[in-house]
Amino acid sequence: MTTASAILPARGLADHLTAVFWRHPRVLLALLLTPPLLWLGVVYLGSLAALLLQSFYSIDEFSGVVKEEFTLKTYGELLRPSNFDILVRTVTMAALVTLACAILAFPIAYYAARYAKGHWKAAFYLGVMLPLWSSYLVKVYAWKLILAKEGILGWAAERTHTSWIIDGLLSIPGLEGSSLSTSPIGTFAVFVYIWLPYMILPMQAALERVPNSMLEASADLGATRAQTLRTVILPLALPGVIAGSIFTFSLTLGDYIIPQIIGNSANFIGMAVYQLQGTAGNIPLAAAFAVVPIAIMLIYLAIARRMGAFDAL
Amino acid sequence: MTAAVEFQNVSRHFGTVRAVDGVDLTIAEGSFFAMLGPSGSGKTTCLRLISGFEKPTGGTIRIFGEDVSSTPPHLRNVNTVFQDYALFPHLNVRDNVAYGLMVKGMGRAARYAKAEEMLALVHLDAYGDRKPAQLSGGQRQRVALARALVNEPRVLLLDEPLGALDLKLREAMQDELKALQKRLGLTFVFVTHDQHEALSMADSLAVFNEGRIAQIGTPQDIYDRPATRFVADFVGSSNVLPPDLTRAMGGPPEWASLRPEATRLAPTGPVRGTVTALRYLGSGTRVVISMGETDVAALVPAGQPVPDEGETTAIAFDQAALHLMGPA
Repeated sequence: MTTASAILPARGLADHLTAVFWRHPRVLLALLLTPPLLWLGVVYLGSLAALLLQSFYSIDEFSGVVKEEFTLKTYGELLRPSNFDILVRTVTMAALVTLACAILAFPIAYYAARYAKGHWKAAFYLGVMLPLWSSYLVKVYAWKLILAKEGILGWAAERTHTSWIIDGLLSIPGLEGSSLSTSPIGTFAVFVYIWLPYMILPMQAALERVPNSMLEASADLGATRAQTLRTVILPLALPGVIAGSIFTFSLTLGDYIIPQIIGNSANFIGMAVYQLQGTAGNIPLAAAFAVVPIAIMLIYLAIARRMGAFDAL
Repeated sequence: MTAAVEFQNVSRHFGTVRAVDGVDLTIAEGSFFAMLGPSGSGKTTCLRLISGFEKPTGGTIRIFGEDVSSTPPHLRNVNTVFQDYALFPHLNVRDNVAYGLMVKGMGRAARYAKAEEMLALVHLDAYGDRKPAQLSGGQRQRVALARALVNEPRVLLLDEPLGALDLKLREAMQDELKALQKRLGLTFVFVTHDQHEALSMADSLAVFNEGRIAQIGTPQDIYDRPATRFVADFVGSSNVLPPDLTRAMGGPPEWASLRPEATRLAPTGPVRGTVTALRYLGSGTRVVISMGETDVAALVPAGQPVPDEGETTAIAFDQAALHLMGPA
């Protein structure tokens, strides 16, 4: 028998620290949480609060000076037709982009979650992530060329005698343009392309969590594929769809570069904020515009919750 | 009488792996049939071949005489209780149970009435509004059972349904399942790797080994007269005796099985050995005696003297208890 002590000697500072953390578990938690909480509380929420505060100020129309008095006048300005148009246009675009992303992403995410194995899975991740690694601006300008009248799309349409499809699309009232790259259709297409990965990834993660046996149970009980999709897969994938739609929706609501480069230069919320806080110097109105996407997202999440989108979490 | 399920030379290969390899099988209507075997022996694949989640590589499967080779799962009149229960987490218990009726287009009131009936059958009347996550393992198991029974299938398939339950609950559920099967007169096909469960519940059972059926018969047949060494090894706590030991014990030079409870300790005998281990079982003591290369277990009933480890002893038994079997 050895006569080793029941308590081993501490070898150094690390041993002592580990002992302190073991005796006081909350100390470690506090040490780990303080910096991110400070960041979140001060830098993140603090600036958001400042933004909210700014939106309740107004600007003196003659001097252009911000009056630091509480008023709802700035929010009232949002309802002016020229401003309200911007809100409607942006929200409509964001909703359509989100819908298109969800429809396009579903088969891809479903394949990746249920069928892709090994190398194919790696290829999927690479395929989805690769576009995110190249510059956003490069991609947008590349699309401008693709969609331009002399671009590859127009060229291909001409060669296959399908130019009438593009011409038909461009003659729809509200979507007019001399080419796809100057039509709202182009803006829409590029938004969908740019934000698609943000829909695919959460959707794939949600679908991956649906065990195979659940789909088998559905078929076993007599459900067709369509019934299984509607009553089992979609409800269980819904949290992922909502997560993805938060990305696509809010990113579209806030973007100011794509509509500036592609489309008919009609104003979007992001562009309005950019102009108001820059050249126009109307910080309160810019802040009020910026509050709109936040309010819309909160309403959207409340509705999603009410509809039971998070019940499966 | 047509068989509930019939396999004719059925195989299922995954690449080079022969998960099921030339299985012939007949399951009588109204019987409680168990498929027993170690993991990877092909028993679960056989069950999935019946439900339609696997397609046979070769052979014919008939359910009540009808060839189901080209019938997808949702059109087969069989239902499954899954190993992980596979309850739909977004639906409450009532909607889970009513699911099979819902996809067939039955109205809400009618299907809920039927679901409540099924929940009563498994003693969960008051749980319809709960979500599966709010139930215990045993309760989930019952919901899965009610859900599988709601369509009134002609065959109920159970894939290790009791595996996740603790011992006491498992025993209670074994009794309940058996009673339910008798009451409904339904054909149950039950997959398990637990030999006690298979022996105590089944009317007949198939023992699987490496994709083939090693033996098929009543629990009594299989326990008392194992066809092969594998069956004797896997099913029982039976002793497997090599040919030379069988001969030394007075039998022919063949592989044989000898049940511990058929043996008793004797001061002298043809074969002697050293006691190497004792295990107290309550109803008696299991004594392991090392005889050359083979360990032989004997059961000493409670109240009788038990030797100490290291003592030398012999065993005695009726020659009739020595069961000869094939080498495989």
